[in-house]
Amino acid sequence: MKINEFIMNFIMTELLAGQSSGPLTDADPLIDSGIIDSFGIMALMSFLEEKFSIQISGDELRPENFDSVKTISSLVAKKTGLILDA
Amino acid sequence: MDFSFTDEQVVLRDMVVKFARNELNYDIAEYEISGAFPVEPWRKCAGMQFMGVPFPEKYGGGGSDFLTTVIVLNALGYACKDAGLVHAIATQVLCGMQILMFGSEEQKQKYLPDVCSGEKIFAQAITEPDSGSDALSMRTRATRNDDGYLLNGNKMFITNGPIADVVIVFAVTDPDKNTLGGISCCLVERGFSGFEQCRSIRKMGLATLQNGELVFNNCPVPLHNLLGREGQGGMIFNESMEWERSFLPAAHLGTMERVLEISIAYARERKAFGQSIGKFQSVANKIAEMKIRLELGRLICWKAATLKDQNKRATLESSIGKLFISESLKQACLDAVQIHGGYGFTTEYPVERDLRDSVAATIYSGTSEMQYNIISRWLGL
Repeated sequence: MKINEFIMNFIMTELLAGQSSGPLTDADPLIDSGIIDSFGIMALMSFLEEKFSIQISGDELRPENFDSVKTISSLVAKKTGLILDA
Repeated sequence: MDFSFTDEQVVLRDMVVKFARNELNYDIAEYEISGAFPVEPWRKCAGMQFMGVPFPEKYGGGGSDFLTTVIVLNALGYACKDAGLVHAIATQVLCGMQILMFGSEEQKQKYLPDVCSGEKIFAQAITEPDSGSDALSMRTRATRNDDGYLLNGNKMFITNGPIADVVIVFAVTDPDKNTLGGISCCLVERGFSGFEQCRSIRKMGLATLQNGELVFNNCPVPLHNLLGREGQGGMIFNESMEWERSFLPAAHLGTMERVLEISIAYARERKAFGQSIGKFQSVANKIAEMKIRLELGRLICWKAATLKDQNKRATLESSIGKLFISESLKQACLDAVQIHGGYGFTTEYPVERDLRDSVAATIYSGTSEMQYNIISRWLGL
């Protein structure tokens, strides 16, 4: 599974669980659309930190880093050294 | 899994307890009448470095881990009967932690030594007259101009607010954005033009804690007083709440321990129908329930603190702890009053004050209802 697929899967199964929503792309806005709210961001960060064994803190805690599956994947790739498409 | 404190932590806790019993045993009833802040006890606590425990030594702190900080607050909650003072100290520490986590190096050098020394009093301003639990629906605006920001709006019930030298203010910088990206934090100092600190509001408990309204009327805030980046306020709020809910319950556990001891002593001493009232199941069960809640509360509180020390998230644990411990404290105090009978209802006995103080614990830092919401969301509901 690629990084973005893990993240997409978490959003669909945990943050959007039980909600009727259309297909989600890597570029779709997550915060401004309300998919990620103040609770969802904490759940997402917990997932990312546990799944990828990283710590997100300080200046990395910016909304723009969590604005889409694409930006989240980039943050994870940067912190883990993993390749985005691998 | 290790449930024991280190030798150093045990010694530190004993030292704090001894200090509080000797130096913080003032007559709280007098302060309740006057509504004054206990300035001298605050200074004594500052002298003991209680406000600097978790901060790096280069900023004047003690360089201890978070669990040790929690232990100090727990000891204060146990041995200092003035829950208002303990809460004021906790607020000071939490403000410092926001600056430590999100401040620039310049901000850390400027403000953290004052946090640690207690020379200046810090507050954080989130709640507004029309937004409490729905905190991020705030209306206070920080409008960008050439020099920084112009702050306009009102904050309400702000702990330490009426006496604060520095306030971390959360305000909307971009109303078109979702709250997670439209809110920012800035540091406002006493004396900034357009910044007014209103008188302290009288409350049913926590009388020495100064809570009041803050008014910002075209208050200019220099750009270098922005805490974190513009638009980072929602994220800072989330982080702060998690630390706060991992921290404040430690004080409540301390109070619970004291209330338990008082209740046991009274139940042994007080006689009715030819025996100690503790021999009656209806009394004994109340006290046993206190002990159960105290022990379980400790487990979740120490766990949350340990997770934070491991640089892990404790969102769920801190919410469970905040909810369980604050509600347990309120119930324990109510039961303690009942066990003390008519005496418990008088102001001659301290349990009535503990009860009044305890009610606030289920409201501030996110009400119990909000904690249920967070926990159920975490379960995918």
